[in-house]
Amino acid sequence: MTDATNSGAQAPKTSLIAHDARTKKRNSAEKRFRAYGVTAIGIGLFFLTVLFYSILKSGLPAFTTTVLSVEFTMTQEQYDEAEGTMLKTAKYQGFFNDGLAAQLAETGVEVEYDAKTIERIAGKTGNLIRAHYQENPNTIGSPVTFDLPTSSRVNRYINGEFTKDEVEDSRFLEAADLDLVDVMLASGTIRTVFDWNFITGKDSGVDNPGGAGIGASVIGSFFMMLVVLVLSLPIGVAASIYLEEFAPKNRWTDLIEVNISNLAAVPSIVFGILGLAVFIQFMHLPQSAPLVGGLVLTLMTLPTIIISTRASLKAVPPSIRDAALGIGASKMQAVFHHVLPLAMPGILTGTIIGLAQALGETAPLLLIGMVGFVAREYPEGFIQGFVEPNSAMPAQIYTWASRADAGFYEKAWGGIIVLLAFLLTMNIIAIILRRRFERRW
Amino acid sequence: MNDMRLIDRAVDMKDIKIAARDVQVYYGDNHAIKDVNVDIADKTVTAFIGPSGCGKSTFLRSLNRMNDTIDICRVEGNILLDGEDIYDKQVDPVQLRAKVGMVFQKPNPFPKSIYDNVAYGPRIHGLAKNKADLDEIVEKALRRGAIWDEVKDRLDKPGTGLSGGQQQRLCIARAVATEPEVLLMDEPCSALDPIATAQVEELIDELRENYSVVIVTHSMQQAARVSQKTAFFHLGNLVEYGETGQIFTNPVDPRTESYITGRIG
Ligand SMILES: Nc1ncnc2c1ncn2[C@@H]1O[C@H](COP(=O)(O)OP(=O)(O)OP(=O)(O)O)[C@@H](O)[C@H]1O
Ligand SMILES: [Mg+2]
Repeated sequence: MTDATNSGAQAPKTSLIAHDARTKKRNSAEKRFRAYGVTAIGIGLFFLTVLFYSILKSGLPAFTTTVLSVEFTMTQEQYDEAEGTMLKTAKYQGFFNDGLAAQLAETGVEVEYDAKTIERIAGKTGNLIRAHYQENPNTIGSPVTFDLPTSSRVNRYINGEFTKDEVEDSRFLEAADLDLVDVMLASGTIRTVFDWNFITGKDSGVDNPGGAGIGASVIGSFFMMLVVLVLSLPIGVAASIYLEEFAPKNRWTDLIEVNISNLAAVPSIVFGILGLAVFIQFMHLPQSAPLVGGLVLTLMTLPTIIISTRASLKAVPPSIRDAALGIGASKMQAVFHHVLPLAMPGILTGTIIGLAQALGETAPLLLIGMVGFVAREYPEGFIQGFVEPNSAMPAQIYTWASRADAGFYEKAWGGIIVLLAFLLTMNIIAIILRRRFERRW
Repeated sequence: MNDMRLIDRAVDMKDIKIAARDVQVYYGDNHAIKDVNVDIADKTVTAFIGPSGCGKSTFLRSLNRMNDTIDICRVEGNILLDGEDIYDKQVDPVQLRAKVGMVFQKPNPFPKSIYDNVAYGPRIHGLAKNKADLDEIVEKALRRGAIWDEVKDRLDKPGTGLSGGQQQRLCIARAVATEPEVLLMDEPCSALDPIATAQVEELIDELRENYSVVIVTHSMQQAARVSQKTAFFHLGNLVEYGETGQIFTNPVDPRTESYITGRIG
């Protein structure tokens, strides 16, 4: 006691206002660390901004399309005449061109063009027109407004991807055609409209990027996610509960634990080849089917769900288990009445993150034939949704990106926007669920 | 205390509720409880005292098989509840724990409403026939936990929102709601202020009318105040066991004496 008092008296008095050297050093270290942190976040935000900007810039045009809109009346005589000839669609195309010419004349267009020009701008229109009248024969004789999609080159020209001077005349497009396009744009005959077909439509062939939609592959992804959710959530949660709460801690469970952690790090393409070998070659499940995709992605998602579920079970304080057991609850009652509800937010978050990961996974789908499959049809029903060949969003994006026509490139970017929108929605759902469950306590 | 109760007490003391014979508890290689023999009487408060780490909690937890939840823990010897070996293979620990309730050192209410905390035990054991029955059980338990007046207007509020002392009394109410025959309490007052401690001690004294209560405590005064019997543990051994008055005034073993007078522990 006395010693301490003495040494304290001998030490020089320090002021609280003047910082000593150690304090200064500590403070500057703290400042430096904060600066690092702010820089790191800044860099992150910068790249995020660049990413979003480039995605939106390249992808947004995929959501719009340019249409040639023509009001046109088909008389009964014209219909009968067209149906009576051999080259029916050519006849319809002729009628359409006449209608268009009349409309252009009304607006006082003075550009030279011929039927070929129209064909280069709007493609072969006869088919679409004939299809319309066959389906709606009652519209014969009354005016109908046709919104016919323009060709992908015209579309890209209108989106400003190239200028008139850059056009090399070819059988697809001539520079002179663009004069007509400009005029029609000015007169409103060619309009830019929101392309619902991109969101709800099916994939088109390799030569028609304008008609390609991501809808069918969204359905494919949906069925896949359904399989993943229905299989991996119960299996994963049950496995975690068993491992965490019931299994004895011995060498075997240690081994299982290590293996699960390792599985989470296995490259997804390995799961793909496993799926190919087991589900398709051995079990003879159909190729390119969302069912198989879902099974493969389930294998991939399980470790993620198990790891996050176990972590959230571990985070529940043991005193809660003691409390339940102490008043005579069985182990299962303790787990299901008390531990699981507390772990729920963590489990749900883990599950949704696992699903989001699975939603964006492309590599395993390569091997089971979902990449490259042209999803031209919607599944016919719920069961067919699982077993009929389909594509999935990331697979569709990959397919589009690898097609030659530059129009598909834009579609691929648009597909990425749709995919990101789904991921964002899932993350928001995860946050909402977590909030909701946490608030209950 | 009236004469009637003194007589009761004398009779009750003869009933042995729990009998432990040559009990050994191991945590892996750590021999935590060595050769413990003790008879815990019915309708009596028995206090376990001893320095930290001597095995009081361990022994207490082996009385309702809470040690089963610890993988490395092994119990040998016999512990008889009303003459039946609780470590018998046919015994369901769940049934045992319904009879031998436990209050833990740290208050651990469920993160549910106050009502649900207390009602949980009666619900899973099917003690209430209907809602009115359950309400009655809950009220009675909360009254016995000396907390009814504080919470009667907020039964639907979370139990975790109470103060530490209130939480502990809620846990006591929760434990008595299942009508156990034995109540084990591991340092129930370590988180409580003197007023709440006094309330809990009063409660323990009341519980004695119906139950056998075993309480672990670090407070000599508390042991002296509430218990009739005291067991002194040291390094895993039961050094001395006897009437509380005798242990505190006239201990046989020198280790007991030095602990009580504050020389070890
Ligand atoms: N879960 C456990 N795993 C391993 N060893 C344990 C465990 N719990 C207790 N022990 C050991 O058993 C011995 C007795 O511990 P116990 O908790 O019973 O002591 P205590 O008398 O209750 O002490 P305190 O008064 O501090 O609560 C100690 O040596 C302790 O290290
Ligand atoms: Mg203890």
